[in-house]
Amino acid sequence: MAASKKLMSVKRDWRERDVRVVLSALVIAVATVATIALFASQLQRTLVSSASSFLAADRQLEAENGRPVPQAWMQEAEQRGLETARMVEFSTMVYGADNFQLVSVKAVNNEYPLRGQVEYQVGADAARQTVSHGPPPGEVWINPRLLRLLELGIGDSLEVGNHELTISGLLVREPDGGFNMSSLAPRVMMHVDDVEPTGVIKEGSRVEYVYLFAGEESALNDYYSWLQPQLEPSHEWEGVRDGETFSRSLERAERFLLLGGSLAVMLAAVAVAVASRQYALSQRDTVALLKTLGVSSKGIGRLYIRRLALWGIVGAIGGLLVALPLYWLMSSVLGDVLEQQIDYQLDPNALAPALLTALVSLFAFAYPPIRRLRNVPAMRVLRSQPGESGREAVPDLIIAAVAIFGLVWMYAREISLVLSLLGGLAFLLGTLGLLGWLLVSTLRKISGGGNAWRLALVGLYRHRRASLSQIAVFAMTLMLAATLILVRTSLLDDWQAQLPEDAPNHFLINISPQAVDEVDEFWSERGHPLEQLYPMVRGRLTELNGQPVKEAVTKEERVGALNRELNLTWMEELPEDNEVVAGEWFEEGQTDGVSIEAELAGKLGVSVGDELGFTIGSDKVTETVTSIRTVQWDSMKPNFYMAFPPGGGLEDMPATWITAFFLPADMKGELNDFSRRFPTVSVLEIDHVIERIQAIVRQVTQAIEAILALILAAALVVMAAVVSATMQDRQREGALLRTLGGRQSLLVRSTMLEFALLGFFAGILGVVAAEGAVWALQFRMFEGEFRWHWQAVLPIPLLSALVLALFGRWQLKPVLSVSPMLLLRRLE
Amino acid sequence: MSDPSEHKPESQRPMLKVSNLTHKVSLETDTLTILQGVSLEINRGESVAIVGRSGSGKTTLLGLLAGLDTPSEGSVELDGSVISQLSEDDRAKLRSRRVGFVFQSFQLLPALTALENVMLPLELGGFDSPQAKARELLERVGLGERLYHTPRQLSGGEQQRVAIARAFASEPSILFADEPTGNLDNRTGADVSDLLMTLNREQGTTLVMVTHDEQLAARCSRHFNIEAGILTEPSTSEQSEAVN
Repeated sequence: MAASKKLMSVKRDWRERDVRVVLSALVIAVATVATIALFASQLQRTLVSSASSFLAADRQLEAENGRPVPQAWMQEAEQRGLETARMVEFSTMVYGADNFQLVSVKAVNNEYPLRGQVEYQVGADAARQTVSHGPPPGEVWINPRLLRLLELGIGDSLEVGNHELTISGLLVREPDGGFNMSSLAPRVMMHVDDVEPTGVIKEGSRVEYVYLFAGEESALNDYYSWLQPQLEPSHEWEGVRDGETFSRSLERAERFLLLGGSLAVMLAAVAVAVASRQYALSQRDTVALLKTLGVSSKGIGRLYIRRLALWGIVGAIGGLLVALPLYWLMSSVLGDVLEQQIDYQLDPNALAPALLTALVSLFAFAYPPIRRLRNVPAMRVLRSQPGESGREAVPDLIIAAVAIFGLVWMYAREISLVLSLLGGLAFLLGTLGLLGWLLVSTLRKISGGGNAWRLALVGLYRHRRASLSQIAVFAMTLMLAATLILVRTSLLDDWQAQLPEDAPNHFLINISPQAVDEVDEFWSERGHPLEQLYPMVRGRLTELNGQPVKEAVTKEERVGALNRELNLTWMEELPEDNEVVAGEWFEEGQTDGVSIEAELAGKLGVSVGDELGFTIGSDKVTETVTSIRTVQWDSMKPNFYMAFPPGGGLEDMPATWITAFFLPADMKGELNDFSRRFPTVSVLEIDHVIERIQAIVRQVTQAIEAILALILAAALVVMAAVVSATMQDRQREGALLRTLGGRQSLLVRSTMLEFALLGFFAGILGVVAAEGAVWALQFRMFEGEFRWHWQAVLPIPLLSALVLALFGRWQLKPVLSVSPMLLLRRLE
Repeated sequence: MSDPSEHKPESQRPMLKVSNLTHKVSLETDTLTILQGVSLEINRGESVAIVGRSGSGKTTLLGLLAGLDTPSEGSVELDGSVISQLSEDDRAKLRSRRVGFVFQSFQLLPALTALENVMLPLELGGFDSPQAKARELLERVGLGERLYHTPRQLSGGEQQRVAIARAFASEPSILFADEPTGNLDNRTGADVSDLLMTLNREQGTTLVMVTHDEQLAARCSRHFNIEAGILTEPSTSEQSEAVN
């Protein structure tokens, strides 16, 4: 009604200290969550676009059935504002003057590549050039090895089918080359207009049409929704996420950001909760006065709800005003690191959680005590009445817990994350209950005295209710901050372990059995011995339990692996990063059986005991599946779908060998020597892929540090808010102590000690709870192994003790700088 | 508004009529009787002092008379309404229109300026131009220069003047004062009580004041004693004796 409306005034409210604390908490809440969410969505877009060049596009559509897709599909994409390009891939024989060679052709149109760049050189010793196109019609760029095999030079002619093309460049790397062992033949890149004159593509030829798309994420998704119903099983739509090489790194980075954002949500909620609750409790006298002046209970309720809403709006606007410049700053730093143009976008999906967090926590925490304000007796103006008992706070706590976890769930949509954090908090509160009991029963026995330690302990006991609730909030804050620190540390360690500085960055493929020792020797002499060589036999999977595999597997389940030759190997030991998930790995001396990769086994519906038939050249090999194993496709090591035991079914088949090794950048020149000595061995350079991933990891690391800094700042502010909640009482007490003759130095020492003890207890609790939460998160979200972070167990409590001691000193300042009398009067 | 008592001449209608008021408080082990069978009638325009020592029950009585609390037994009739039977919200409504308060501890809102504190009841009661009226009243109590000061920047005497200005702002028909000079030194207390009595006379307000200050009590037209929850009114001769 009118009465409550008339009392609304931001200007008047702002003069109240508790209102300023609530508003600051709201601003911090909105600012932290919005900055992190905006930045996370920015980072995600940037990483996706920086990763897109691995596909030479944002999305690829592959037609593996040997037929181009309908023209209308591409027209539709262009109408939707997407950029498109197309290419045709096939294998064929090419002819030089005297020799011929099987090659893998990639014919591209003028638009290729949509993302990333092609690198080529016009002679073996010429400088490398980076361009955004393929060769023009009439020309080819070829793999340097092919030049040697065919004994040709730049400017010579190369016959592809019926068409003669001029070799105008050596292909160094293609943006979508990635790491694809299925085509081991040397690469020839030509223009798509030259394909028809060659006459090599006929009905039934093995040819793959690939279409590239780039554009806005939403336009791509809309297009895919339009396209999907028309796709056949032989059509494959690929995005960056599906790319094997680094999807895991990306995914983890995203999860970390998600965790960071969720922790920000929780911290923000705690900050608003502490502040608004403190405010509500401080309003009892005002409410009593308003009641004597004739405001009804309903009017009181309406007045405070309106106030909360008003602050919610003011706080949200303030928070956004802080968040936006921060977001711009962080993004432009990211842009510099990435050397990439940043498109700033105020993603509404990123802003909504910030606003919701602020409003929900404001109402969920402030409303219950404010609702009870309606029951404050007017008589309180004449005679002080008992305040709230702890019992009334229990339902508040439940509402608060539901609100916090509702918010985190809404933000992260990850039940394991919510449960991990909930578990950590439950542990924390349980321990706190125990600690409270201990505090009361032990400290009670200590009597005061002139000693700072004694005074501090007595202080802890006398303020036990405030102390315990402060420890609870500090511990919660520290737990959240420590969780992020610990996850960050193990995430970075894990990435480092996954891609160490000396991760293999070159593959040698097609090593003939006779050359194996010589190749090994070549690199050993140069200080880079080959670690592990694997034999490789090309073969097709043709039968499943005696039935032709294409009949045994329904059409929808047909997988790429059935349409092409697979790399089969034999090995004695299970590679370190593989894991047997069903059956048993080969025993020593065992010669029968085959081990199949888990994902393929799943797609084919193969289990241990099934019989697989392979066609290798003109031979047939049949083996029973004895184990199913997982493979780390992003490990940058040779990986195989099928592994046989030594002396098993593959032993007599024609095999070549493959290996991966690390070659530092300054030794790249040795590759020329190597190629001259072993012209038939293919060298696959993946150093750029690795560098790329390492760069991404570095960027993400920096982003993580920035977010961590933001969270820690928010944590500090929460702690300051909590300390300031009891500031007045403590100042009054300090003034009284001084009036009664307490020396300043004693006061300072005992207060700092008391706060340090608070901080230390809270720190220990927080770290232990964080370890628990990290343990759960590690299992569920980051698939890493958990270990105790002993190095964090002591520093965090010590640091929190120090910080709180300084907070304690800070709030004593007015007590020390003015006369006790003046202070007592001020605090009246 | 249809008040049945409006038909009577004003002087015949009691402003406040209390019959057989008893108030008990339950403690953990037993029940404490704070007021016992209090009855009194106060006429329009009278000024009444209720005098008693600390713990005699005078503040409780004031709270019940003003409708801040409800009695265990008995009834309180304020300006024709039986407030002991009204709901909390109806009592609040009645207070906003007819009742003013002055408290021992001033009860000013610390975040508001002097001017805003005085405007508060005017805003709540829906009065026209509350600011002008509040300014006028503050000038009347001698604080025209201190309009924008917050309570913390004012002395105790000044704070109580603001509280008095606030109490008279909504032109209440009855004013309750709880030890209005209790927190002030003698000299300031005397100034404040002068102001209170003057304004009271000017506005023709009924004044009910509890105090242990005999001198202040002597300035009222009637006074009651309260001891251990029992109220007594000395005879007229005793009252004049007390004044002398």
